[in-house]
Amino acid sequence: MRSIDVHAHLVPQCLLNTVDSGGEWHGLRLEKGDGPGRLVGHGRHIPLGPTQLRFTPEERIRDMDQQGTDVQVVSIHMPIVGYHLDSPDGLQLAREVNDEISFMTKQWPQRFAGLATLPVQDVDTSISELERSVTELGLKGAALDTVVNASNWDEEQFLPLFKAAEQLGALLFYHPQPNNNLISQQVNDKYAFGNSIGVPLEDALLVAALIFGGVMEKCPDLKVCVAHGGGPACFGMGRMDHAWQVRAEARINIQRPPSTYLSRMYYDTVTNSEAVLRFLIDTVGIDRVVLGSDWPFVGWDPSPAGWVQGLESLTAEEKDKVLWQNLESLLGI
Amino acid sequence: MRSIDIHAHITPQCFWRATQDGGDWHTIRREQDARGKEYALSGDSQGQLPPKSSWTPEQRLADMDSLGVDIQVVSTYAGFYNYHLDAAIATATSRDANNEVGDMANSWPDRFAALATLPMQDVNAAVAELERVMHQLGFKGAMINDNINGRQLDDPEFLPFWKAAEEMGAMILFHQGGGTLVNSRIRRYHLPNSIGNLADRAITFASLVMGGVMDACPDLKICLSHGGGYVCHGIGRIDRSWETRAEVRANISQPPSAYLRRFYYDSIVYTEAALRFLIDTVGADRVVFGTDWPYDMAQDWPVSWILGLESITGEEKELILWKNLESLLGL
Repeated sequence: MRSIDVHAHLVPQCLLNTVDSGGEWHGLRLEKGDGPGRLVGHGRHIPLGPTQLRFTPEERIRDMDQQGTDVQVVSIHMPIVGYHLDSPDGLQLAREVNDEISFMTKQWPQRFAGLATLPVQDVDTSISELERSVTELGLKGAALDTVVNASNWDEEQFLPLFKAAEQLGALLFYHPQPNNNLISQQVNDKYAFGNSIGVPLEDALLVAALIFGGVMEKCPDLKVCVAHGGGPACFGMGRMDHAWQVRAEARINIQRPPSTYLSRMYYDTVTNSEAVLRFLIDTVGIDRVVLGSDWPFVGWDPSPAGWVQGLESLTAEEKDKVLWQNLESLLGI
Repeated sequence: MRSIDIHAHITPQCFWRATQDGGDWHTIRREQDARGKEYALSGDSQGQLPPKSSWTPEQRLADMDSLGVDIQVVSTYAGFYNYHLDAAIATATSRDANNEVGDMANSWPDRFAALATLPMQDVNAAVAELERVMHQLGFKGAMINDNINGRQLDDPEFLPFWKAAEEMGAMILFHQGGGTLVNSRIRRYHLPNSIGNLADRAITFASLVMGGVMDACPDLKICLSHGGGYVCHGIGRIDRSWETRAEVRANISQPPSAYLRRFYYDSIVYTEAALRFLIDTVGADRVVFGTDWPYDMAQDWPVSWILGLESITGEEKELILWKNLESLLGL
C-alpha cells in the first residue's frame, strides 16, 4: 500500500547554507545555542529543532524510508514565510524556496511532490509566482498561512488569487503559525496555549473565513486542504450553522448553511485521536481526509501511515483512501 | 421526564424599571435604535437585549411550560458582569440582580434556582457576595466570565475565590461576556460568538487545569457552558502539548485529559454527533441540560431535541435532562 503525506515541513537548504555561514536570509539569522540553534528575525525566535528540520533531502528520504512514507508533499516551515517583507524581497524569498522544492521533486519524483510559498502580501505578484510554480516548476499548489499579516482570507483582495488557483488546478494547503498566532498573542502563553489551542483555532477560523466569506461559493472548483484536520471546524459547525440561521451578517455571502461547504475541502489526519479522526470522516466524508504527518514535529506511533493502519474504527477501504488514493487523484501523483 | 436547565439568563426587572424613563441603573443606561431594538449601555460597552429579556417571571414560566423546562437555574445576563466598571458599582449591580434572582427562586422554588453574578474585579467583594447569596439566599453558585478584565483564571489573585467557592459548595458556570479571543481577528459572520465562545471555554479549561487550580481545589464544582467549547474535541493536542513541553507540566503531574471528568459540560452543541462525541469523551454523568434562554443562539425546542436523539439512550437522556443537576445542585 502506498502512503502520500500532504503535511511535511521544509526549512530549505538555501536558508541553512546562508545562516550557517553567518549570513542573513531575508531578515533571518542564526543564533547558535544548544542543539540545532534557532533563527532570529521577523520579530521572533524560530527554533531549528528537532534536528530533522535540518535534514538534507537524502537524509529526509532515509527518514521517510524508516517511517514507511512513500511520498512527501513538501511545503515551507510556516514561521519563515515572511509575509511582512516588502514585495520584491518576499518574491525573492518565494522564488528561492520554490526553486529548491522543485529541484527536490525533479531529482526524486517518486518521493517528493511540492507546494510553493507565495508572497501573498502582494496578491498580483503571488499569482505570477503561483503560475510559475505550477506551470514551470511542476509544483502542485501552494502552502499558505491562515492569516496574512492582519488580513483574513475572506477579504476581497484575495479573490483573484483564489480564481487563479482554481484555474490552475492548484491545491491550497493552509497551515497556521505554530507558536505565534491569535491565542499566543492574547493570552499568557506560559503553558503553550498558542500551540495546543491556538493552532486548531486558526484552522477553524480559516475554514469559517473561506465558507462565510463566499470563497468556496465563488470558486466551486477550488482545491483547499486544511492542516490538523481543520481543527474543530467540523465539531463546531453546528454552532456556525445556527449563527447562519439567526444572524443576517452570517448570510451575507452564502445562501446555504455553512456546513454545506465543509465537504468541499480536504483535511489531514493530524487530529491527535482516533475518535476525532472518525468524527471528521463521518462529518466530511472519506473522500476528503488525507494523510498528514506534520513532519518532523509529531512522534507518531509507530509512524504516520502506521498509525492510520492500526486504527480499528477505519475499514481497509477507508485506510486506502486516506493513506494515498485521495491524494493520488487530487494531485495526480 | 423532568428537565433542569443550567443555562438560562435574566436581565433583571430592577434594570428595566430603573431605566424606564431614561434613568440609569447604577450608571447603566438603556437605549432604543430606530427599529426599536433595546440596548444596555454599561461604561463603554453595549449589549443588545432580545425581546424576551424584559419578560416577567410569569411570562418566563409560560415559555418554560411551552418548552417543557421544569426548572431554570437562572443566571444574570453576562452583559452585566460589569468587571470593567468601578468595583463599587459592580458590587451594587450584583447585589440588586442577585436579590431579584433570589426572590424568584424563593417565590417559585419548584421552577427556579439561582446563580449569582459577582464583582470579580475585587476578589474580596466577590467572596463576600458569594457568601451572602449562598448562606442567606440559598443560591447554588455563580456565573463567571472566562477571564477577568483580561486576567487569566489561574492568576494567583483569584485562588482565594476558588477556595471559597469550593468551601461553600458553590458551582461555577463559565460563560463569556462581551468579546472573545476571536474579536481581535475577525468580527464578521458572528464568528466572535460562534467560534470565539468555544475557544474561550477551551482556554478556561486549560488555565484551570495547567495553572493548578483544579489540583488546589479538588472539590470545586465547575460547569463549562456551550458544551465546554473545543475542550473535548481538542484534548488530544492539549495532552500532546503536556507530553512534549516541560512548561505545560509545570503544575500538573497528570495529562490534562485526566481532568476532563472534573468538569460538567452543558448540552448546547447543536448536533447529535457533537453531543454523542461529548458524552463519549467526558461521560454521560458529566453532561447537563442547557438552553441559553432567551437568546437567538439558543437551540430551538431544546427538550424535545434531546428526547428525539436516536444515538442517546433513555438512561443518558435522564442523566442529562435532570438527574445530573439534581444531584449536583440538590434540586
